[in-house]
Amino acid sequence: MALLEVSDLVVGYDAFPVLHGIEFTVEEGELCVLLGLNGAGKTTTVATIAGLVHPRSGHVRFEGKDLGRRPPSARVAGGISMCPEGRRVFPRLSVRQNLRLGAWTRRRQSKAVQRQLELVYDYFPQLAEREGQLAGTLSGGEQQMLAVGRALMSRPTLLLIDEASLGLSPTVVSSVWEVTSRIRQDGTTVLMVEQNAGALPFADRALIMEKGTLVYTGVGDELRAVNLREAYLGS
Amino acid sequence: MTTELGIAVVNGIFAGSVYALVALGIVLIYRASGVFNFAQAEFGTTGLFAAYAGVVLWNLPYWLGLLFGLAAAVAMGLATERLVINPLRNSSRVTLLVGTAGVALAAIGIQFWQSNEQPIREMPKIVEGVALQPFGAAITWQHLITLGVLIVVALALAVFFRSPSGVAIQAAQQDGTAAELVGISVRRVSMMTWAIAALLGGLAGVLSGPNLTFTAGHLTFGAGAALLPGFMAAVLGGMRSMPGALLGGIVVGVIEQLGSLSLFGYMSGGGEMMLFFFLLIVLLLRPQGLFVRKAVAA
Repeated sequence: MALLEVSDLVVGYDAFPVLHGIEFTVEEGELCVLLGLNGAGKTTTVATIAGLVHPRSGHVRFEGKDLGRRPPSARVAGGISMCPEGRRVFPRLSVRQNLRLGAWTRRRQSKAVQRQLELVYDYFPQLAEREGQLAGTLSGGEQQMLAVGRALMSRPTLLLIDEASLGLSPTVVSSVWEVTSRIRQDGTTVLMVEQNAGALPFADRALIMEKGTLVYTGVGDELRAVNLREAYLGS
Repeated sequence: MTTELGIAVVNGIFAGSVYALVALGIVLIYRASGVFNFAQAEFGTTGLFAAYAGVVLWNLPYWLGLLFGLAAAVAMGLATERLVINPLRNSSRVTLLVGTAGVALAAIGIQFWQSNEQPIREMPKIVEGVALQPFGAAITWQHLITLGVLIVVALALAVFFRSPSGVAIQAAQQDGTAAELVGISVRRVSMMTWAIAALLGGLAGVLSGPNLTFTAGHLTFGAGAALLPGFMAAVLGGMRSMPGALLGGIVVGVIEQLGSLSLFGYMSGGGEMMLFFFLLIVLLLRPQGLFVRKAVAA
């Protein structure tokens, strides 16, 4: 049984349809990357999985259970955590407060939260150095690390990362992807949304979206071999 | 002159305590919903009417009457959030603002309707009598209790906003979507915020009411009118700062009283005039407010 199963998902905003019945699965322990150009429907897909958007029809099943219209808070408690596009850290709260809020659904398990905090600091040592600093004063790369770290604080089974590379320098992007790969190796399943095809070497499998439909699914190496990058993502 | 000035400052501090309570509620709501809450003062008048009903009409013990008044204010705050703010959450700020004005007008209408036979009412004080007379100013026990409550409320809010629930409220105020994504229920946070703001308004009502006779719309346009000074205090505090709102309330109270000095010939409306001039100067020179540090960008 797949960890995440998306079937016949139709999603739209007011009169505008965005997703036209997409279907895919994510297996436990995988790092999948969802690639596509602007407007392909990638963010809508992960926002629907996280519960921020409700589908018009179709299903999102997690660990075999239909998530229906469960709110995001219930999904976080159930093991799905999302690092949103644009970081969206809490700018007037400290790094430590941001991270602790990431463990909001487990806030009464203080020892476990402390252990998770140490793990996040191990992934991103810069955050430990700046834990008392207001998040709004961090650089873009540090804010991205904080956003990923905050999403990890709930100890998710499935981590959704939306456009981690947006607006960051290639060096920072590469280090964020490397940590993401480490997070997967440590046992967390990851579904990463990207426009940047440079994420492919870090992924076990790639899903390519175009205009609200899924046009290709394959392993990262296979994708490079058949040169679909040019076909669907441009140069 | 010194005595007159002393009296004005002392009276200003006590009037300012009520403005500060109103301003704190206005700031809380502004941060949570991004709207000027025109109903903030009506939470207070409604609380006062309910407390009056409990203490005077039903002869409840004073403390129970006060609790009933505060409960009525909180119930009104929660009803406003559920019935007006939540359904309009995706509307423009102007629509929300008109929504809160509608709540205020509806509440005032109900108060008039309920107090038709006896429009002017008098609420007994918690403790009667004068406690102190510095500079010749008569400070009543009611004044001292009001100031004491403001101090306790300020300390309680400071502690609360450092607690996990308080930090969650701040997070939801800064980015509701991100708060949802870490598992915070923004709906609950919004209700909690409106309940706290309504409690602050209720305290302003039940504490200021016994100083004067009161009518419908007591804190909005009646004798104890605190809505406009409360807004000014919130603006002076930068609209987002709780300590700023508190200090802004006291500053507004004192400046208003200074306008009534003989120096200005006891001119009618002198306090309000001085207050508006002061606000204008502050907005021109320091538009971010008097007590706000540099903003942090997202």
